[in-house]
Formats: sequence, structure tokens, C-alpha cells
Amino acid sequence: MSEQQAFAQGPEGLTDGFTARRTSQWRVLRSEWIKLLTLRSTWITLIAIVAVIIGFGVLSALVASGSVTPSSSNGGGPPTEAMRRNPLNTVMSGANLAVLIVAVLGSIIGAREFASGLIRTTFSAVPRRLPVLWAKLMVFVGVLLPIVLVAIVAVFFLGMSLLASADAQTVAWSDDGVARSVIGLGCYIVGLGVIGLALGTLLRGTAASIGVVIGAVIFVPALATALLPESWDEVLKYLPSNAGAAFTTASQSGGAMLDPGVGAAVFVGWIVLAVACAAWVIKRRDA
Amino acid sequence: MIEVSELTKRFGAVTAVDGITFTVRPGIVTGFLGPNGAGKSTTMRMILGLDRPTSGTAHVNGRPFRQAPAPLAELGAMLEAKAVDKGRSARNHLRAVGATIGVGRSRVDEVLAMVGLTDVAGKHAGGFSLGMGQRLGIAMALLGDPPVVMLDEPVNGLDPDGILWIRGLLKSLAAEGRTVFVSSHLMSEVEQTADHLIVIGRGRILADMPMGDFIRQSSQHRVSVMSPDATRLAELMAGPEVVVATADDGSLVVEGLGAREVGELAAANGIVLHQLVDVAPSLEAAFMELTAESVVFHGSVDQQAGSAA
Ligand SMILES: Nc1ncnc2c1ncn2[C@@H]1O[C@H](COP(=O)(O)OP(=O)(O)OP(=O)(O)O)[C@@H](O)[C@H]1O
Ligand SMILES: [Mg+2]
Repeated sequence: MSEQQAFAQGPEGLTDGFTARRTSQWRVLRSEWIKLLTLRSTWITLIAIVAVIIGFGVLSALVASGSVTPSSSNGGGPPTEAMRRNPLNTVMSGANLAVLIVAVLGSIIGAREFASGLIRTTFSAVPRRLPVLWAKLMVFVGVLLPIVLVAIVAVFFLGMSLLASADAQTVAWSDDGVARSVIGLGCYIVGLGVIGLALGTLLRGTAASIGVVIGAVIFVPALATALLPESWDEVLKYLPSNAGAAFTTASQSGGAMLDPGVGAAVFVGWIVLAVACAAWVIKRRDA
Repeated sequence: MIEVSELTKRFGAVTAVDGITFTVRPGIVTGFLGPNGAGKSTTMRMILGLDRPTSGTAHVNGRPFRQAPAPLAELGAMLEAKAVDKGRSARNHLRAVGATIGVGRSRVDEVLAMVGLTDVAGKHAGGFSLGMGQRLGIAMALLGDPPVVMLDEPVNGLDPDGILWIRGLLKSLAAEGRTVFVSSHLMSEVEQTADHLIVIGRGRILADMPMGDFIRQSSQHRVSVMSPDATRLAELMAGPEVVVATADDGSLVVEGLGAREVGELAAANGIVLHQLVDVAPSLEAAFMELTAESVVFHGSVDQQAGSAA
């Protein structure tokens, strides 16, 4: 492999035997890995994601099982009917919040270098540019997917055992669609982060991309579904969040949603679209 | 070696770089001089492949920079000093970018020592002063031990010590056989360092010559002479090759005659002289004159007003 090929470029002089190596996708990946892990904010955000997924899940399970009574005015009193009936939603309440944090993290990772001007140094080191985008995506998915999946599976078993010990209704990992929707939710969270990252590099501003990914990708579909007449439902099903809901919820509510498999395919389609736009713009625009 | 050919860059209606062609050779320091907005940074960005040329080509070591197998080891550049992430330490900044060509910790520390940042290597780059940021940018440019070094206004924000250091560094880089390309908007900054000069104004090349030639060409001597009988003296000096102007203080500024000839002429005609001086224009003045018509941003106060005759 050319990996070991050395470039004795510079004339003798300033260095003690330093030899540069060919810039490869692997080395760009290492570069992005170092970048991500040398920012304190990365660590804080990762801890926050795990804390929110597990913390809120456990808290909701305790509330639903009646061990803890919420004290706020509207949420007070005994566990609601909805909480009793949908144990999976209860336990995954933290994961639904983590979606926002991961999407924001993705946007920041995508836009941050454009804001600081570091991108010009980065593109001077990798003038072909696209390896930088691929590396950022790989590092993001490589770090977040394991963390989110472990946290989400952990909170599932933790939450269910809390519910079980209070004799509340539970679902089992082996129940129909449960494993799929739990794993699916983890992938959905990271997938939205990837869309955030793509939008961040596309829009080059953290605020703008956070706004777009949270507003247009997460909230607008929910709003549209609620507000538009039913005749629109066929179309709205294909929006990212609704396509995501198709494989992140265990129980299928009739024809209101796509099939899980189709939903997953549509969601992947959105990711590919966002990344493709980002790649096209990165390649073409002046840095 | 940097070869730029017919390079043009338009931003909408603005032509920032207008069909320029030049070569930057190894072994010498080449100064890239031009007033604000002349197109220096834009040219450098196109050489790096950061900006896409509207037309024309820029080659580094014989090929477009994009095709370099190990870019950081081929052309080290500093465009803006503060192109760093504020939350990352200087060492980690160099380590991260250096990883693209397999740079390890020891090389990073070596370069940090070279630019004098060893003591603050672990500090966040966001807290750096302008001068420290400049040094970090230079460290990045040298990190890959590249044969071509390109620095945009490197002395900006450096104290006198720092300026001396940079001059020494540029000369030693060139002495090692590297191609050194440095931009500035002040002649005084490159006067003592550059061996070759490329002057740009409004996106066009105005001069491309060895420093020595530029000095020779621009040291058209003038003579300043003060006399109570200035009018008669001016009449006596008049000739096809001679230009005489009157300055603010009533002295005559003569182009085309030496101090000796003026003195002898005065003595022969019995004219009293109060002062007779040879005036060598500074290179700064020569540079300003060369770019006078191409300055993009004139000050709001007319600069001519103060020195009008
Ligand atoms: N991204 C851009 N969009 C629009 N115009 C630009 C852009 N970059 C540069 N310009 C214009 O191009 C011209 C050349 O700018 P450039 O920054 O290359 O000049 P410069 O010689 O580096 O000046 P300075 O000494 O001030 O750094 C200027 O008129 C500037 O306004
Ligand atoms: Mg500039």
C-alpha cells in the first residue's frame, strides 16, 4: 500500500528526520478524530446525551410506576392512562429529547470550522475536500452510534425492570417490533445528527443549521401533520420525522404510517440527499 | 515553485484578480506587494485551491495543488493567523491538521519550539494574542517541512522582535532552497528581505523584477535646491531632460540634473545657494507611485492636499 510511502519533499534543514506521508482517507479520518476529541464541548455533549437518555427514561418509568409523583401543577397526580398503556414510550422519553441534542451536535460539528475560519487550514491540508466530509461523517457516526445505542438499550432494560417491579405494564425485548423500534430509534437519533452535520456544512452557520434541522426536519412535519387536512397525509408520511416514526414505534396504527422497512428506506433517502447536497456544495463553493 | 498563468477571479462585478501571470522561484524570497484590495489574498487562495479561479491556472511544483499527494508537505501556507478553533490548544490544533500527513507529536513540539510557542502549547488558541496567533499560523505552514512556503502578511501584529525573527526565518527558508512567497502592503516590510518583487494593483501585475532592479529603477535622483534667486536659477536649469518643480517651502525640486551640475551652474552665474541636497526617493515612495493609480480604497481626506506644491 501507498500508506507507507514516504515523501522526502523539503530540502534538508529545519527538521530532524521528519518524513511526510501520503494524505489518505484514513489519515484524514485520524485528523477529524483528533479534532472531535480535543474539544471539551464534545465530551460535555456526549455525557449530556447519555444522561438525558437514561435519566429521563428512568424518571419517567418511576413516575409511570407511581414510585415518584411529579409535583408540577399539570403533571401532578397519579400516572396518566397514556403512560400506563405505552411503556415503551415512557422508557424512551429521554431518547426523544436526545434527538434534539444530537441534531444540534451534528450541526455544530458541520458548521464550526466555517465559523472559525479553520476550514481554510483544513482545506489547505486536504484540497480535494470531500475526504474531509466523509471523515467528519464517519467520526460522528462512529462515536455517536455506539454511545446512543448502548444508552438506549440500557435504559430499555432499566426502565422495564422498574416498571415490572411496580407491577406496571411492560413490554419485552422479544415482543413484536420492540427490538426493531428501540434499535431504530437509536439509528434515527444518529441519522438526524448526520442530517444536521450535512446542513451545517451546507449553511456554514451553527445557528442557521440548528434552526433548519430542528425547525424544518423535526417540528414542521409534526405541525403539518396536525394542521393540514387528511388528504395531505399520504405526502406527509414521507417527511423525515414521520418516516422515522414508522420504524421507531412498535405498534403500527393502521395506514397512518409507512411500513417500518419503507420508513427506514425513506429516512435513509433523506440522509443521502442531505449529504449529497453538502458534498456538492463543499466541492464547488469557495472556502 | 509556484506558476500562475492568466489567473482571473471575479466576484460578481468585482474583478479581484485580472489575468495575472508570474512564477515564484525556489531559493529566494519573493515579495508580493500591493495596496489593500489589490488581490494578493485572492491570488494566494486560488494557489491553494480555496477559491476557484474564474479562468487561468495556478500550479504548485508543476501541478494543481489539489493533486498533491501530501499537500501539507508540499505547500505550507498561512492566510489568516486566526484560522483556528478557539477551544483547541495550539498543540492539538497542529496535531489534528498534521495527522493528514502522518505528523507525530515530536514534530509538532519541534515546530512549536521553532516559533517560540512551547510555553503556551497547551493553552487554548482562542486566548492567543495577535502575535502568538501569527506564530501559530507560521508553525502550521512549516509543519510539513514543505519546499514551498506562502505567507499572507506575516508580520501583521508582530512586535519589532517578531519582525526581525520573521525576516531571519524567511531568509533561512530561502537559503535552504525553498520557494518563499510573502505578501505585504508595505514596501518597508519586504525591502530588506525580498530578493524578488512582484507588485500587484487592482488585480494586475505592475512590476515583476529582482529587488535590485526595482531599487535601481526607482532611485531616479532628484536635487532639492534653495536659493533667494530661485526664478532665475530655474530658467537657467531648464532643458529638454530637466523637470523643475517648486515645493512648499519655496525650494526647487530638480529632476534630470545632479547636485554637482546645479552647484556649478549657480556658481558660474553668481547665484547664491542656501541649500543643495541630493534626494533619493524611498522605495516606499517608488512603490506608492507605481500603485498610485491602482489604489482601490482612497482615504476620505485627499492625500495630495497636504503636499501640493
Ligand atoms: N469573497 C469575496 N467576495 C467578494 N469580493 C471579494 C471577496 N474576496 C475578495 N474580494 C474583493 O476582491 C478584491 C481583492 O481582495 P483581496 O483580499 O485579494 O486583496 P488584498 O490584496 O489581499 O488586500 P489586503 O491588503 O487588504 O489584504 C477586493 O476588492 C475585495 O473586496
Ligand atoms: Mg489580503
